[in-house]
Parts: sequence; structure tokens; C-alpha cells
Amino acid sequence: MQQPQNKYEPEQNLQINFFKPRPGFMRREVTVICLTLFAWATVSIGFPFCLGLTATDPTALVETGKSLFGMPLHYWFSGHFLIFWFILICFIFNLLIDWLTKSYRKRH
Amino acid sequence: MAFSSIKFLPICVLFGVLALSLLVGLANRRNFRGGYGIDGRPMGHPGIGAAIASNWMSAASFLGIAGVFFVQGYFAFAYILGWTGGYVLLLVLMGGQLRRFGKYTAPDFVEARFESSGARICSAAITILISLIYCVAQYKGIGLIFAWILGVDYTGALIFGAVVVMSYLIIGGALGAKKNPQLHYLLLIFSFVIPLMFVAKKLGYSWLVPQFSYGSALRDLPPQMAEQYLFPWTFGTPYQWIALSVTLMVGTAGLPHVLSRFYTVSNNRDARWGVVWGLFFIGLLYWSAPAFGAFAKTWQARTGTELDPEQARAVADLIIVKAGEWVGIPDFLVALLAVGGILAAFSTVTGLLVTGAGAFAYDIYFRLINPRASEKHLVKVAKGVTLIMALLIVVVAANPPGLIAEITAVAFALAGNTLFPVFLLGIWWDRTNSHGVIAGMIVGIILTFLPVLFGHLLPVAFISWLPPTSSALIGAPLVILVIIVVSLFTPPPSEAVRRFLVEKVHSP
Repeated sequence: MQQPQNKYEPEQNLQINFFKPRPGFMRREVTVICLTLFAWATVSIGFPFCLGLTATDPTALVETGKSLFGMPLHYWFSGHFLIFWFILICFIFNLLIDWLTKSYRKRH
Repeated sequence: MAFSSIKFLPICVLFGVLALSLLVGLANRRNFRGGYGIDGRPMGHPGIGAAIASNWMSAASFLGIAGVFFVQGYFAFAYILGWTGGYVLLLVLMGGQLRRFGKYTAPDFVEARFESSGARICSAAITILISLIYCVAQYKGIGLIFAWILGVDYTGALIFGAVVVMSYLIIGGALGAKKNPQLHYLLLIFSFVIPLMFVAKKLGYSWLVPQFSYGSALRDLPPQMAEQYLFPWTFGTPYQWIALSVTLMVGTAGLPHVLSRFYTVSNNRDARWGVVWGLFFIGLLYWSAPAFGAFAKTWQARTGTELDPEQARAVADLIIVKAGEWVGIPDFLVALLAVGGILAAFSTVTGLLVTGAGAFAYDIYFRLINPRASEKHLVKVAKGVTLIMALLIVVVAANPPGLIAEITAVAFALAGNTLFPVFLLGIWWDRTNSHGVIAGMIVGIILTFLPVLFGHLLPVAFISWLPPTSSALIGAPLVILVIIVVSLFTPPPSEAVRRFLVEKVHSP
């Protein structure tokens, strides 16, 4: 009778590199990580960058600046929204990793 | 700074709460296990989140953010952004992988991953330095609040506070009392938000959501002051803002006592979901903190008691207590704010002193000085080092080099310039070796302390690109580059370690 092939045969390729992820779980995990980091970076670094380009006149900001929920818009964005945004992207990241881990474990 | 008179109510509340905290700790000591509730059963994701938040909330969050907002307005959001966004980096890039790696402290990870005692000792020294700097900021908070409560000068209050911290540590340690992190979080958040609601009401703004109504308070400031506060770049350039927030983010992801929270829960999934709740609970404090600074400004504008910048900096770290006192909320609530500040600082200091002393005793003394030391001897060394560290911190904190949040930011810069690149590359690049990380950590230490210690000797242009509080925007990528280059020119790590990375760390 033929012996079943050992699926835990020692791995020959031991390369770990974020930019060249291994096929399978790691590649999918890195995709999720990259998407999350993109959502994190565009908002947390992109926003002050845009604000740096646009907010140039203090007087105009006081007289005609936009408000949201009674807050100056940039205050609301930095003080309220960004924390909410971080919670949201962590939430979505966890959902995706839960799904990924579950589907991968089922297959193996 | 001296305050007028001794205040009995805060003293009673403070010692009452400290005694209660010891009692609760004692009641829990038999059943308490990390990640488990009082009765020993798993405590659910919100419970883990509250533990993460309670571990995180130090004097820098409780007193520091409002202080920076009072002095620098919008610039304070760089701190808030950094100290929340860092959790995203930690969760996404490291949390799960470090947990699967299975080492519980930074030196343990470094030795196991890089198979080098030298790298371990280097990371232990960094852990101690981070603890020391972090504690200086906490001690400043303790000194200021005790000076306010006792009506004595800052230095006397600092020494008294240090004695109380040590006594609390010794009594708690001797009794084996472990604190209950969820109760600690609830105490902190209520002692912060309820007085804030009263401050808002007293000034005539919506008390239900002071987190929003401080926006109206800012608009009501006199035009010149409103311009200063509403314009985002009055107190710092966009570069400084981004550099600071990125430094704090990478620092958060590299801080040893934050990372260790990933191991004190029963499994990886619980740890990940705990972070989401933890971020929400931390957010509750950060959504509220700027309001204290804004309301204090409003009160000053109304009463014509504006302070010059130097006076404002001197009072900034106590602004939450001063705001309550100025506006005239009930004494009990002002006392609650002061006690909340002390509790936040106490829990952080006791945790960090134990971590720092442990790193010295087990990672430096045992490995480098006396490898034959018995466990009993090491415990004695750790106790002695705790005392020496506490004395050292008091000496530095006697002349605090900046605001609480600024001093803390230097600890984050150090973590971001050293441990963050080491963890990141250690996990995500199998070729990273001990030579690379030792070189990287040394460069990281130099990049952190160059602007802090020799800033006055360096060209202005250099300091403007590498500010003491924000050196990791440039520092961390540079250190990553150093680690990569040195690793490539030296032999690769062993096959066993690389296999472990493939089979354990990067598998589900």
C-alpha cells in the first residue's frame, strides 16, 4: 500500500520578505496589511500635508472657516474623526484576518 | 512652583483610593491571571481593551495632552494622533507575529531571534533607558500634584511623591496585591470626564458632550487668541507636526510595555480584538483631553488673566486641576482630577520601575556581571536597582527638561529609533542578523540623544530636521537602512531561526 505523502515535509525555501511574501497565507496577510497601512497613512499623514498646503491665512480661518458639529473642521478631523478612523480600520483588519485565518485553517 | 495651602479633601480621597486599590488587589490576588477576570474566567474583548487602556494611560495622557493643548493649541493633536495611530501599526505589523514568536519581553525576543547575547544586552539597556525617561515625565506629574495638594514647593513634593510611590510599590509587592486593570480604567475615565462636564456647564457650554462644545469655546475667544488657536501652524510647522506624530506612532509600536500586553491574553484573536476596544477606551480620554485646555483658555480670556508663554508652560501640566479650580467646580471634583493624575502616574511608574529593574537584573547583571547568581540574589539586585532608578529619576525630574508630553515623546523617539526597526525587520526579513541589529540600535541611540543632549551645539537647520521629540521620522528609516546594509555584509542567521519564522511566525 502506498504511504500517504507527509504534508509537513521540511520546507526548503526559508525566505521571509515583506515585499516578496510567500505564496498562501503570508501573501494574503501581506495584502490585507498593505490595504490597512494605505488607509492609515493616507489619512493620518495625508491630512496634515493637505492642511499644510491649504491653511495659510489665520484670519480667514477664523472668519470664514468651516465647522462641523460646532467644531472647526480641522479640529473635528484631527481630534475626533482620526481616532474613530483608526478604530474602524483596526476593526476591518481584524475581520479580514479572522476570515483569512479561518479559511486557511479549514483548508489545511 | 509653590501653591498656597494644604488641601485635606484631596489627601483623604488620594489615600482612600490607594488603600482601596491595594484592598481590591489583595482580594484578586489568588484568582487574577493576565487576560482573565476576577473569577478566573476569560473576560471578553471589552475587558481586555480596558486592561490595554489602563496600562496605556499615564500622566502623559491624563495631564500632558491637556497641557500641550493649553500651550500649543492644535499642535497637541500630533500627540493624540501619534498615540492612537501607533496602535494600528502595532496591530497590523507586529502584534500577531510577535505573539506567535512567543517571547514575552524585548530582550527575550531579541536573543531568541538573533541568537546573540550582545544584542540582548543592547536591547535591555534600551528598555532601561526608555523606562527612565518615561518615569521622569511621570514623576514631574506626581511632583506637581503633590505640590498642589500639600501646598509645598515642587522639589519637596517630588521627594515626598517618590517616597509614596516606593512605599506603595513595597507594600503592594509585599502583599502580592495585583491591581484590577478594569477598575483602574473606570476610575481614571470617570475622574477625568465628570469634572470636565462640570467645567463646561460652569462656563455655559453644553455639558453633555464637552468633547464637542469646546469648539464653540474656541470660537468665543477674542479674535487674536482665536487666530492663534484655530490656525493649525501657529506653534509648529506641518513638518514638525508630521515628524512628531510619526515618531510617536513608531514609538508606540516599539514600546516594550505596550507590546507585552499582547501576551497577557489567552489567544491571538482575543489580543487583536482587545486592541480595537483598547483604542476606543483610550479614545474616550483623548476625545476629551483638549477640552480642558480650551476651557482653561476661555476662562482666562473672560477674566482677563492671560498668562505669558513662560507662565503658561509652568502651569500647563497641571492645567486640568487648575481649570477645575479656576472655573469653580465643587472641591470634591477637583480632588478627583488630582487623584486621577496621581493614579495614572503611579501605575505607570510602578510598572516601568519593575520592568527596568528586571531588565537590569536578568539581562545585564546575570548575563554580563555574575552568571552564577541565584534567583534570590537576582531578586535582591532588582530591588536595589529599583531604588537606584527611582533616585536617578528624582534627580532628573527635579529640573524637568520640558512638558510631561514632551519628555514622554523622547522615550517614544528612542523606542521608535531602536526597538521598532529591530522588531519590524526581525519579523519581516529573515536575513536580519545580530550584527545588523546591534549596529542599528547603536545608531538609533545616537540619533535619539544627539538632539537631546547636544542640540545647543548643533546647527539650527539640523535640529529643525531632527527635533528631540520627533527624531524617528528620519531616524527610524535610517536605522532600518543601517540594519539592512550591515546584515547583508555579514553572515545570515541560522537555518533553525529562519525555519521557525517560516513555520511558526508566518503561518496562521
